[in-house]
Amino acid sequence: MPSVNEINKESVVMYKDEPHIVVEFQHVNPGKGGSFVRTRLKNARTGKVFENTYKAAESVEFVDLERRNLQYTYNDGKNWFFMDQASFEEIFIPKEVLAEKANYLKEGQEIQGFFYEGECLNVVLPKKMVLKVTEAFDAVKGDSSGNITKEVTLETGYKIKVPIFIKEGDLLSINTDTGEYVERANQ
Amino acid sequence: MEPRWKQLKNDAQLRKNLELRAKTIAAVRAFFDARGYLEVETPLVVAKPGMEPHLEPFQTTVRDPFGNASEAFLITSPEYAMKKLLVAGFPKIYQLAKCFRNGEAFEGRHNPEFTMLEWYRTETDYRGIMDETEALVKETAERVLGTKVLSWRGETLDLGQPWERLTVAEAMRRHADVDLDAALSDKKILLDVAARLGHALPAETAWDDAFFSVFLNAVEPQLGKKVPTFLYDYPVSMAALSKPSARDPRYAERFELYIGGLELANAFTELTDAKEQRKRLEEERALRQQLGRIDYAPDEDFLAALEAGMPASGGIALGIDRLVMLLAGEEDIRRVLAFPAGVMFQDKKA
Repeated sequence: MPSVNEINKESVVMYKDEPHIVVEFQHVNPGKGGSFVRTRLKNARTGKVFENTYKAAESVEFVDLERRNLQYTYNDGKNWFFMDQASFEEIFIPKEVLAEKANYLKEGQEIQGFFYEGECLNVVLPKKMVLKVTEAFDAVKGDSSGNITKEVTLETGYKIKVPIFIKEGDLLSINTDTGEYVERANQ
Repeated sequence: MEPRWKQLKNDAQLRKNLELRAKTIAAVRAFFDARGYLEVETPLVVAKPGMEPHLEPFQTTVRDPFGNASEAFLITSPEYAMKKLLVAGFPKIYQLAKCFRNGEAFEGRHNPEFTMLEWYRTETDYRGIMDETEALVKETAERVLGTKVLSWRGETLDLGQPWERLTVAEAMRRHADVDLDAALSDKKILLDVAARLGHALPAETAWDDAFFSVFLNAVEPQLGKKVPTFLYDYPVSMAALSKPSARDPRYAERFELYIGGLELANAFTELTDAKEQRKRLEEERALRQQLGRIDYAPDEDFLAALEAGMPASGGIALGIDRLVMLLAGEEDIRRVLAFPAGVMFQDKKA
């Protein structure tokens, strides 16, 4: 069986007979005791995130997933609906699986879905996505905290901190790993 | 990536964290100066670094003006030099030292270069050091923040409450249902619990690794959640520089401090028996060789100092960066360093 040393962000591993997505991992060499790999795993079905620590070189069962290209259509608040671009069938993904990734989806967006036994367990978005600002207020002057950001709302309803010069109608590039503003992307 | 100086310029919180760092260090100095401790400085570049089997030191070369080369290393801790000073007749010493550990992560709780506070005192044991550690952290929080109540990981953590003191055996019983006394001579107990926790380890797994698999998954996340916890009396195999317990020689007088799930400090009643120390260093060296680590001989000067007679003493190493993280409410070490390693060196992790 492969070892935990081959683990990567977004790898899917079996843990207690359930598929889990590796959200974070870090190799740790404590001053005393052996080397370990500290991970944060997300249960692919329930969305529950927890810390799990592997001994270095511990055997891990990786889950082989089928990759499918999907196009986002709409959501009903519980499930997000997509069209499989190869088979044209409609599939849905529960909110728990998308988690914060749902914040960046607008109609027509193409993403990759990863399936296990017919069920979508994870999706991967482009690293940067461009979204339009639909609501922006002028920054309050005299804010003495020294922060030079303000909050705006994007076309998907997602609220984000941006520099004060951003206006309604601006196109923003968003880092989908961190959920943070990268730059203005007006054509 | 945006240059770090630009991030610092644009992020007021980041700049505040660095101010808080300076205040923390000033508060630490004030604490020890008021208690009659002497601040010392010992070399960062040494001929013989620490022997901890799982730490990899940075290796370099020292040359004299005639071109004669000597193998040298950056310290992983100033421990040996500080103990030599105890032998030399300094009874109360502290140091804020840069320490270096290669192969560490560039984020989370780790940076390959970090700041360690170490202090040593004669005529005390690890209990005396526990009392002093509690006083130090409380006073530092009060001086730096004006309160002992912290907000950490979305929860309130009150340093002013009485701190918990828990033996490793009691923690293993409480959080993992393991009888550690029995497990000391029966590894299978640990392997069975590890398997129940979702970690099927092979039978030939080393005892320490089996212990840590259970400890890190079931016990450590529960420590210091509401109030800080001193975890003490470790199995003797996990405490190469500490004195065996008078109560039960299978355990050693070592403690770690956990606050809000963060491991902040590690302390010992110092081992003063030169013969026993040599034996443990040689065992650790053998393990280093087996693991393919850089190989070097033990520091003979340190062993000679112990032989000359080290007074009974207690000592501790406390991570200053982690203390600043806690006080600043920052969960990533990069937020409390001006220039974390990742802005200079590439972290190849995906």
